[in-house]
Amino acid sequence: MASDRQYLILTNNPLVKTCMDGRYAIRFFADLSLRDILVKARDMVYEGHELYTHPLAGSVKPNETPYKSVVVSRTAGQMQADQAEIMANSIVACDKFAPRHRELSQKVREDFQLIDYTLLSGALGFDAAAGLSNACNKK
Amino acid sequence: MSYRVVHYINQFFANIGGEEMAHVPPELREGHVGPGLAFNQAWKGEAEIVQTIVCGDSYFAEHEKDAKAQVLAWVKEAKPDLFIAGPAFNAGRYGYACANVALAVKEELGIPVLTGMYEENPGADMKEKILIVATTNSAAGMRKAAPAMAKLAMKLMRGEALGASCEEGYMPNGVRKNFFEKERGSKRAVDMLLAKLAEKPFTTEYPMPSFDRVAPNKAIKDLSKATIALCTSGGIVPKGNPDHIESSSASHYGEYCLDGVDVLTAETYETAHGGYDPVYANENPNRVLPVDVMREFEREGKIGKLHNYFYTTVGNGTAVASAKKFAMEYAQKLLQANVNAVIMTST
Amino acid sequence: MKLELGFIQIKDIQFSKECKVENGTLYVNADEVKDFVFKDDDVKACVKAAHFDIAKPGESVRITPVKDVIEPRVKVEGPGGEFPGVIAKVDTVGSGKTHVLRGMAVVTAGKIVGFQEGVIDMSGPGADYTPFSKLLNLVLVCEPVEGVHQHEYEHAVRIAGLRAATFVGELGRAVTPDDTQEFETYGIKEGIEKFPDLPRVAYVHMLQSQGLLHDTYVYGVDAKRSLTTIIYPTETMDGAILSGNCVSACDKNTTYHHQNNPVVADLFAQHGKTLNYVCNIITNENVYLADKMRSSDWSAKLCRLLDLDGVIVSQEGFGNPDTDLIMNTKKIEQMGVKTTIITDEYAGQDGKSQSLADADPLADAVVTGGNANEVIILPAMDKVIGTLDYVDKIAGGHAGSLRPDGTIEAELQVITGATNEMGFNCLSAR
Repeated sequence: MASDRQYLILTNNPLVKTCMDGRYAIRFFADLSLRDILVKARDMVYEGHELYTHPLAGSVKPNETPYKSVVVSRTAGQMQADQAEIMANSIVACDKFAPRHRELSQKVREDFQLIDYTLLSGALGFDAAAGLSNACNKK
Repeated sequence: MSYRVVHYINQFFANIGGEEMAHVPPELREGHVGPGLAFNQAWKGEAEIVQTIVCGDSYFAEHEKDAKAQVLAWVKEAKPDLFIAGPAFNAGRYGYACANVALAVKEELGIPVLTGMYEENPGADMKEKILIVATTNSAAGMRKAAPAMAKLAMKLMRGEALGASCEEGYMPNGVRKNFFEKERGSKRAVDMLLAKLAEKPFTTEYPMPSFDRVAPNKAIKDLSKATIALCTSGGIVPKGNPDHIESSSASHYGEYCLDGVDVLTAETYETAHGGYDPVYANENPNRVLPVDVMREFEREGKIGKLHNYFYTTVGNGTAVASAKKFAMEYAQKLLQANVNAVIMTST
Repeated sequence: MKLELGFIQIKDIQFSKECKVENGTLYVNADEVKDFVFKDDDVKACVKAAHFDIAKPGESVRITPVKDVIEPRVKVEGPGGEFPGVIAKVDTVGSGKTHVLRGMAVVTAGKIVGFQEGVIDMSGPGADYTPFSKLLNLVLVCEPVEGVHQHEYEHAVRIAGLRAATFVGELGRAVTPDDTQEFETYGIKEGIEKFPDLPRVAYVHMLQSQGLLHDTYVYGVDAKRSLTTIIYPTETMDGAILSGNCVSACDKNTTYHHQNNPVVADLFAQHGKTLNYVCNIITNENVYLADKMRSSDWSAKLCRLLDLDGVIVSQEGFGNPDTDLIMNTKKIEQMGVKTTIITDEYAGQDGKSQSLADADPLADAVVTGGNANEVIILPAMDKVIGTLDYVDKIAGGHAGSLRPDGTIEAELQVITGATNEMGFNCLSAR
């Protein structure tokens, strides 16, 4: 595994920000869509940032959850073609799902946030439960 | 009342003659001719061939535009419920004619179309655009091909939903359709693996998208001495499109001189491409074919020079086989002109 | 290792005062099962209420949202017990004798998260797509204690289902099976000596292992924390692998799928005849890219180490497992071992999109479980076990998916097991 210090989390998931802030470098984009996050990650991979987590993490479909976190390296090196391909394929996969116009309740949003956060925690070896209770304590 | 069908066949199946009679122009006959009988029999009166169009294969190849226009005019007049062409088996020019004439009827007149041929027939390149029933490679397969085509034709006329390609007998057309196999997936996987291990033929249920990967050439060491050519599938042509490159399914490419052209302007160039919003390309054609930047590099000495011809076509639905043919041809010209590298732009 | 399965054909389920299996009928006292289920501390702490219901093939019944499907079994001879490392002690299973209550399942249902998915229709067009419409289902519907964390609750419902299945399975202990079958694979050398001329074939079984609601457990170990390893096929058949996966209903592998893994069954059918079934290789589907690289390297390495001629690779879930699938396939093929893979497709509602999120020309032998995006209309059923509250939220559903009359218009994705990537079904696509 790369050093924690190399991780840069691109996310639109507020729970990731709440629970992981201080531990990892996080770029939080409150207004970006799931697809926008993928595009951002793709552009950084093109610039030579290393891709650490699979952008389609989770079986929750891209037109189902609004939240996405992708981990790339903080510093850029040489662009890696296989990683660029994973990013490009993920955006293609995202685009084939028909948009679903529906309002999500706060409760459902929180569930989606939790799934994205725990998938990310699992990938980085971060204790998801500890992160949640720390966040509760801060409140 | 039965459904009305117009059938397209070539001179051979109309009993006019073989290659020596391939020059005959399109001709309209009432009722069925040759293989049409087999369709009529299969439809048992529910549908009937009302007219048959006969056209020589050479005539079609050499006068494609005129031949298509004539066929379209007749079909428009007849207002059939279905247009059926062939089957062409492995006859290359016949297959090409069937596929292209069927596509024209479908696109111009909105009438359902169907043809049939061998999967390696060049006309089968069009399988994603029109329904093509897979046949054997010789006319001996007519007894199998006719009922299969007739059955599918009847579904089209009745407006019924089509099943998966392997159930209905049409060539896979890029549209994935679910259906129930007889065996469960794991059994099919075991059988497929056993065939693969025994080096026997097997058919994958999902062919991986094929990418024609081209290994890049070695890098040019000294760009300042290199001759670089510009090529594009973005359809940039001199204003007025003098060679009439089609806006989709291009049948040819254009070769144009850049002597004395410092920058492409809206007054002198445009795009022939029908697959994207042309406004930005027409406003500034350098956006697709960057002559302006190449000239700048030339002046700065970054590159040796810009090759004085560019090659262009429209990549909109153009068959891969056609695109390959174009490139093989003009690659030779580029080699002869000692061009060192090509920048190929797409849209 | 040799396992004997004794199949007790269940032909009916009835609620009753006493619990027993008699003449092919399962009699259930729901309170007794519930008492057993709630003896677990985690279930007690997290599940507020639970009730049982029965759904039979052909009835106008819809079960949703479905969490897991489990076949009740009991170990009658030999080491270990049901669901080792979770319910029974961690002793190795896969040998001795196990009784199976065939033709039925315990189904857990009820909300875990607000987009909980999974529909089982017992009749109508939807029934054709799920294997569980053909079973007698004892459904356990759970409700969470207010404020309980989702991950704790998922665990509790998982355990509740396994405990219910254990209790019911136990009722088959003293029953004489209607049919008995033996399954055996051999040690490496023994196998080569026995079948010197048969190709050596293994099964690369990919396990979903991405995180909360996406987990699989092997002898109680979370698969994401394991390296690729080898397991006897009979261990898999004997309850060693359990589903903790609640997402992507159509292509998640329920515990029932693991117990009745069709690849294992169909390889056994050919074992000693056309091939030598060597073993199963279990490998995970993690989120972290380096994990994917490592796990697929190990799959390929083990294939080589075992001197295999061919493998079948099966997948679980949508999207990023496509990358694991292709990595495994490519690396195994590059080792000179031939592959056939089983997957499903997301080709869009119109069937025109690229089906997989990854591809490689070496994956030239593919079996597909169908296009999960294809739209299906599920007419209203007379009875719903569970709730329709989440239908608009689930994958493949949309706002307005649930029509006022109870009809559901949605993608095949919503149906439990519809496009299974172990090849459990006949559904395919071209």
